[in-house]
Amino acid sequence: MTTAAVTARRRHRRRSLLGKLGIYFILGFFALLMVFPFVYMAASALKTPADTFRYPPRVLPRQPTTLEVNGEQLPLFLLPIIGIDTQVVLVEEGIEAGVFVDPGTPQQELAWPLALATPTGGQATLEGETVEIYSVQVGSTSTDLALKRNTVVGGFESAAGEETFAVVRTAPAAETVSAEWKNFSEVLERPAMERALSNTILVTTLVVAGVLFTSIMGGYAFARIRFPFRNAIFVTYLGSIMIPFIVVLVPLFQLMVAFDWINHLGVLVWPFLFNAYGTFLMRQFFVGIPGELDDSAVIDGATHWTILWRIYVPLSWPAIATLGTFSFLYAWNSFVWPLVAINTANNESYVLTIALRQLGGQAVESPNLIFAGIVIAVVVPIALFVAAQRYFVENVATSGIK
Amino acid sequence: MVADATPVRSTGERPVWLVGLAMWQLLLGVATAVGFGMVASSTGIEIVGTPRPLTMAALGIFSILALLAATWIWRFDHRGRLIAFILNLVLAAVAGFFTLQAVNVFNGLDALSATFGDGLPFLAVIAVGWLLSGWSRGRSGRWERILLTASRGLMIVGAAALLLSVGLIPGLWTFLTRIVLPPAIIYLAITVFSIAALRLLKTSQVTKAFGSTSKQLEVMDGIAFVSPNILGFLAFLAGPLAISLFVSLTDWDGLSEASFIGLRNYIDLFADPFFHRSLLNILYFGLLAIPLSIIPALGLASALNMKLPGMRLFRALYFLPAVAGVVGVALIWKQLYNATIGYINYAILQGTELLNLLPFLDLTAPQPQWLSNPSTAMLSMVIVFVFSTIGFNTVLFVAGLQGVPPSLYEAAELDGAGIWGKFRNITVPVLAPTTVFVTITTTILALQLFSEPFILNAPQLSPNGPANATLTPVIYLYQNAFERFKQGYASAIGWVLFLIIFVITLIYFRTQREEGVLTK
Repeated sequence: MTTAAVTARRRHRRRSLLGKLGIYFILGFFALLMVFPFVYMAASALKTPADTFRYPPRVLPRQPTTLEVNGEQLPLFLLPIIGIDTQVVLVEEGIEAGVFVDPGTPQQELAWPLALATPTGGQATLEGETVEIYSVQVGSTSTDLALKRNTVVGGFESAAGEETFAVVRTAPAAETVSAEWKNFSEVLERPAMERALSNTILVTTLVVAGVLFTSIMGGYAFARIRFPFRNAIFVTYLGSIMIPFIVVLVPLFQLMVAFDWINHLGVLVWPFLFNAYGTFLMRQFFVGIPGELDDSAVIDGATHWTILWRIYVPLSWPAIATLGTFSFLYAWNSFVWPLVAINTANNESYVLTIALRQLGGQAVESPNLIFAGIVIAVVVPIALFVAAQRYFVENVATSGIK
Repeated sequence: MVADATPVRSTGERPVWLVGLAMWQLLLGVATAVGFGMVASSTGIEIVGTPRPLTMAALGIFSILALLAATWIWRFDHRGRLIAFILNLVLAAVAGFFTLQAVNVFNGLDALSATFGDGLPFLAVIAVGWLLSGWSRGRSGRWERILLTASRGLMIVGAAALLLSVGLIPGLWTFLTRIVLPPAIIYLAITVFSIAALRLLKTSQVTKAFGSTSKQLEVMDGIAFVSPNILGFLAFLAGPLAISLFVSLTDWDGLSEASFIGLRNYIDLFADPFFHRSLLNILYFGLLAIPLSIIPALGLASALNMKLPGMRLFRALYFLPAVAGVVGVALIWKQLYNATIGYINYAILQGTELLNLLPFLDLTAPQPQWLSNPSTAMLSMVIVFVFSTIGFNTVLFVAGLQGVPPSLYEAAELDGAGIWGKFRNITVPVLAPTTVFVTITTTILALQLFSEPFILNAPQLSPNGPANATLTPVIYLYQNAFERFKQGYASAIGWVLFLIIFVITLIYFRTQREEGVLTK
């Protein structure tokens, strides 16, 4: 190999390495955008209400820490002592103090007891006013600072006995990262939430089972059984995917009124046990299974029913898992229809989406509860997705688009 | 075909089952004819349930077919068998429906849901059993058998415990006490008779007597297999769709009697400023949201297709918003959008400060009131929509790319094609059909925007948003149908929206066909 070729290859490799890094950077950036709201959700579900309203916002949930002194829970504060942030407790309030500044850097204020400051007799000009210079003793060092105005501070003490002072109202509380797990039990105790969870599981289980059954049956018929107008029926049925659900919203509602199903849980199940998309998905998968298998079975006298459940279904787990996951997500997350068909007055038939929507309106003062509710609603589909991922990402459209 | 049956006919003897079948069809034909006469003679238009002409048509057709079937069965003609099969299938479904409705099984789900919470642990037991069976498949010989038996046992025990804990026995008892009373018992009898007829029609002695070929038998199987889908489709989609078209031509309020007003609703709609506003809003939304949720997805998919380690993880992460569902996602974003404490404005502030570190810049960070400012309200909806759809579209594109042989990319690399060249000349043309599919589904989804504004604006604002900035056609439809009870008007909105979606879909298909010609 010539030297030139080696150099060219090396350059190519270097360029592709850079390209790879670039790709990871872009993918990582988008992944961060996609995941951050969920991280925020999970963390906020464990916060106290006050923590959710804090500015600037923080991701991890934190709570003020306390220290037991003489049988009393005292709040801990975080104040600098000799430049190091130290946990301290409030020991004395209402100390006469002054706000001192260095005339060179007037933004940096120090609130310190007047007892620890002695006038030097000097003067300085601050924002057009004449102020007195004091010798302020902080720890063992003294600094010459100008007195800006008077205030009141509290005295704080660290575990090591060091003393410091600060305005009590603005003194930052010492906080540790800790989770408020009771948010979950609290949100489940709210009206309708726990019932909504079990209702959603029931509705989703029935819809998934129904859709799988009808889609497997229909898909097999459209793929393998010959009957008149088969293709015309199939195309018409498939075309119904294009009908926006919203067009049938009003008449379907009226039909349900006529059946007296409105406000009953069944209204979320019975009209949704069949699905053109699912039938299509199963058909596409069945068409790909070689026909010799069932030809020999037919000769042996097997019925279509036996062939379908004994030969086709065991071969079709990827497609079934895909369809199962999709109809699960569809049923679990459906919102518009439950909103219309389940009256707000009857919260025994609530499902999670409408219970969450109601919670979002009611718990404005405690977003932590809203977040806990969202976590409860999304954790099941996310777990299911993780479990079924292996099957279906490959399957989403290979059968759907070709 | 009928020739095979001749010997039976020549003897002049007709087996009992054949007489029974023919009589049953005759009975059905006569009964539906009587029903037809009764509906025809009664007066008053009724939209709730079924309109009169529809009922009459259904009864009339059923009656004619049943009489025809009876005649043909009598003559050992296979066509009679086929028609009888279809009629009894429909009858079994309808009568079965009425039986269950009469004993209140459909709404009995409420009773189940009240106790269902107690059964949840057993549902988990079944799930564990199912996972165990999946896991044990393909283990070495003896273990597989033992594990499979164990998992099956676990699932059976779990199912039994589940059924008992949710109150199977009291439920069954209620069912039995109700079903013996009329009218349920009558419906039940019809259901049982029609199912018996169906079973009889499928037996081999009938096949022999009618001399049916295997092809003809297959037709019956096909009809039986597609019937759940077709009946569901007719009852819950096609039927309501037809009714919807009819309702859109009336001034119905959902309660009192409707009167036919022709195209009045449509004419009003074209003069309605709120409807205009909603169309403009959705146009603005679509123009932003549709490209933004497709073009980046295309780029991400081609990056994911590079087969580098960790791509599965990225793919799964992108799919997360689609899994979580729109209500949860919208509620999360509502907090993110908070103008004073939300993360978005905080990020803008931090980003601006970072930029201001550059010597020549001095920017002030905008801190918009995302949801309550009319100029950003719809933009907020765009962001949430893009967030929830982009990952799903990416996965669709990845799937579309899997058919591309890697050798194609390798060959292009040898020809000196860079990342952009490969994207432009291989990825984009290969994905053309996928792109059309993705564009159509995204468009349909975008034009039906409802949940995002409905959740994000609550409870401070109405779903219309500030100064009607997020009023969409579907929100307008919802308000007309379920808040103002103008169901005729709402149906008209639905049809106009359907028409718009239909036309856009057609245009997409047209362009794909033209592009297909160009690439070939």
